[in-house]
Amino acid sequence: MPDNNTALVQGTLDMLILKTLAVEPMHAYGIGLRIEQISQGVFQVNPGSLFPAFKRLERAGWVDSEWRATENNRRAKYYILTAVGRKQLKSETRDWKTQSIAIARILEA
Amino acid sequence: MNIFRHLTAGLKELVTRDKTESELTEELNTYLQNAAEAKIRAGATPEEALRSARLELGGMETVKHEVRAVGWEFAIEVFVQDVRYGVRMLRKSPLFTAVAVMAIAIGIGANTAMFSLVDAILLRPLPYPEPQRLIIVGTKQRDGSGMSPMGTADFLAWRDHQQSFEQVAVLDGAGSSFALSGMGAPERIPGVGVSANFFSIFGVAPLRGRGFQPGEDRPGAPGVVVISEQFWRDHLDSDPEVLNRTLRLDGKLHTIVGVMPAGFRFPSRRPADVWAIHTLNSPTVRPPYGLLALGRLKPGVSVRNAVAELNDIAAQVTAQYPSSPDLVGVMMPMKEWMVSDVSTALLVLLGAIALVLLIAVVNVANLLLARATVRQREVAVRMALGASRKRVVRQLLTESAVLSLLGGIIGLLFAYIAVRTFLVFGPGQMPRLEEVGINSGVLLFTFVVCVGSGILFGLAPAFETSRPSLSDPLKDASRSSSAASAHRTHRALLVFEVALALLLMIGSGLLIRSFVRLSDVNPGVQTDHVITAAISLPNKYADPPQISQFWQQFLEKVQSLPGVKAAGITMSLPPNLLEITNPFTVEGQGYDRNRQLQLAEEMAVSPGYFRSLGIPLVKGRFFSPSDKVESDKDPMIVIINETMAKQYFGGKDPIGRRIQTGDPDPKSPWETIVGVVGDVKYSGLDSGPGPTLYVPYNENGWVMWSREMYLVVRSSGNVPGIVPAIRTQLASMDSTLPLAQIRTMDQLLDESLVQQRFRTWLVSGFAALALLLSAMGIYALISYSVSQRTREIGVRIALGAQRSNVLGMVIREGLQLLVFGLLLGLVGALSATRIMRSLLYSTSATDALSFVAPSLMLLAVALLACYIPARRATKVDPMVTLRYE
Repeated sequence: MPDNNTALVQGTLDMLILKTLAVEPMHAYGIGLRIEQISQGVFQVNPGSLFPAFKRLERAGWVDSEWRATENNRRAKYYILTAVGRKQLKSETRDWKTQSIAIARILEA
Repeated sequence: MNIFRHLTAGLKELVTRDKTESELTEELNTYLQNAAEAKIRAGATPEEALRSARLELGGMETVKHEVRAVGWEFAIEVFVQDVRYGVRMLRKSPLFTAVAVMAIAIGIGANTAMFSLVDAILLRPLPYPEPQRLIIVGTKQRDGSGMSPMGTADFLAWRDHQQSFEQVAVLDGAGSSFALSGMGAPERIPGVGVSANFFSIFGVAPLRGRGFQPGEDRPGAPGVVVISEQFWRDHLDSDPEVLNRTLRLDGKLHTIVGVMPAGFRFPSRRPADVWAIHTLNSPTVRPPYGLLALGRLKPGVSVRNAVAELNDIAAQVTAQYPSSPDLVGVMMPMKEWMVSDVSTALLVLLGAIALVLLIAVVNVANLLLARATVRQREVAVRMALGASRKRVVRQLLTESAVLSLLGGIIGLLFAYIAVRTFLVFGPGQMPRLEEVGINSGVLLFTFVVCVGSGILFGLAPAFETSRPSLSDPLKDASRSSSAASAHRTHRALLVFEVALALLLMIGSGLLIRSFVRLSDVNPGVQTDHVITAAISLPNKYADPPQISQFWQQFLEKVQSLPGVKAAGITMSLPPNLLEITNPFTVEGQGYDRNRQLQLAEEMAVSPGYFRSLGIPLVKGRFFSPSDKVESDKDPMIVIINETMAKQYFGGKDPIGRRIQTGDPDPKSPWETIVGVVGDVKYSGLDSGPGPTLYVPYNENGWVMWSREMYLVVRSSGNVPGIVPAIRTQLASMDSTLPLAQIRTMDQLLDESLVQQRFRTWLVSGFAALALLLSAMGIYALISYSVSQRTREIGVRIALGAQRSNVLGMVIREGLQLLVFGLLLGLVGALSATRIMRSLLYSTSATDALSFVAPSLMLLAVALLACYIPARRATKVDPMVTLRYE
């Protein structure tokens, strides 16, 4: 599903990444895995979408990155949520909720 | 802030390209290993795990590419890549590249050159501070049109009472040169008399010294002069001590008080070298009207209000001189006044050359299209490997842009040469030529035209080449559907090209026809064996007997020279050197002031003038040296031309009838008509017939005007050979007098047509180029089409088609396109040539011959261009083509 490069899905992917990073800094594989696990397999994040998203978020200043050692002692690039990113996540979450409630209402009406 | 971050991040990435790249690789590798490990934990073998992880990643390079594509800097990288690739492709086919680049270079070069003229002459503001406030002022009759110079009475009244202008000044409209003596051989230099505040109106500071000061135009003030930078350089060796040196102008000493900078040559049609003082004396009558007035409007004052104010003042002047005509003011922005007569010609030329460029562009587009079929396979491979259509189109467009930029650079070189050549050899007498050059504005124009034409000729081929039919070109099918569609575009472009070429050829046909008619106009004189020169007597020839004595003696000396058949002097010369016009009243006409003013060309001549130019006598007699006209008691006599005799005396004999000249006034002296001579063109070969009056130069009232005269000498032998002898005779009379503007009559005729000849040649050159280009275009198309149909033709011949059938078939294809193109061109020309109307002499803008002849010519040349490849088609050997199958 995230393969479809529609704007909505792209925006959604960015939000999901920010949300994942809100817990702790993480590397690319970890982020993808976490999204897949928490969504119980509904979202399988394709690396072809994931990596461009990282660059986009970095450019926007919402995440930062640094090289760290992983749990199994490999070097990996960790992404860290910035203060601006946190604010962005908050507002996106709020918008998302408003929208999804509205959509749900329309669909149930 | 956000933009700033994007900008710096992008720039950083451009600089640290390698580092970012290797980090991305490492990150992706880590990801891959993590993914593989996860799969191993789930029970896969290491090989399987790595393989499926790779599959999931979907190609390392693809991911990297997509990551790179996020930033703006990616666009630049792609561009650089495309340029490199484009250059490589162009170098692979040098012949194609050379042909295309040359076509573009010629088109762009010519356009740049023409635009640099249009830019300097029409577009750029005048090089003075706040030029829009500079206004040229004149008068006209209330119902008249155009703009005539002002009289002194009008100017003085206006100067003293007007409120709309900060300052107003005058130029002496009549005198446009001075005799310079005391510096080697005497010569005439271009110059003009001006009022003292002339320079302060322009607001241009002198290079050295000063402009004139108030009061320096008082009667009796010492002579002062301001010189041009060029005169300072050429005549005074850029002497740093130039101020306070003196020049002898018209025999009188003038102190040099200033040098104007190089850009200042006003009036620029005949760039002035010296500016002297023109003194205004209080007038007793309203005419003559010989002053060019100019002023700087006060900020915020409109021209309309200024004209209204001048009208009020002119009405008061009219009341003051009751017999004078009812004049109103005319004002024109200075720039418009300078350029209005050349602007149509320039714009038509620019339009014509733009058409040539368009044709060149179409030709290159067709070349590219022919190549497109060849390149389809290369493009198909790239698209099969994942390049999007957008990406391919972009690459192909970049390639054409490179092509046109190359052409543009060479074109600039052409333009530079063309502009230099034009300035040296082109028709002088154009305003603002000193400002022409290739500057940043022109460069910008060239760049925009370059990129524009690159995109224009690249667009159709790029879309054709990248038509998404992946499988066709990869299979070796030589006639695919996309080739057919490229061919359609090709044909449409060719129709367009033929139409444009015809449009240009018709334009040039009209100009040629008009020019031929103009050259055939009879000037009314026998032009062979006649030499003319200007002689001007300075103020020291102060009273009438001195002047008439000088001319009489000088003419006697010239007449006695061996080889001279006749000699005379005149104030005006054919075909376009008319000095003055004068209103006149025929006896019995009455003095109604509201009657439309009837003007005659009037000139003072010596008795020998008519014989020198071979002007035929129709009735009565010429002037004779024995005519007694010098005293105010002598009866005044006049000779009129045929047109005047017809228009104002009907069928009756005008000899012995009387007229008055000047503003209608019963008190004016009567002049008796003694002769009627043939019509002569004095206002240009393209002017209509009008009344002309000749008076004896030594007649009372005229003799003081007879100091600036043209000498006209008819000789029996070598015409220029007589000049040194004339010069010796002149020097023997007065060694300070220059013999200036020496021309044969044939030269004068020739020079009067220089602008028309120039634009006719230029447009014809463009049209020839267009014809050549479109012939090349149709040749290329038919050749291409024949090569595509070789097999079909082979089969036809094998099945028994005659060679003539094949020939007909191929030519029919070309003919179809031609007819479409010609029709389109004719329709376009019908509406487009209308803008040329003012450039044409007694030729209608829809002149039938000028439409038909170019059409036939284009048809003939284009059919020939079809015939060559068509003949080749008939030579097709069916055995060879079928075996090839």
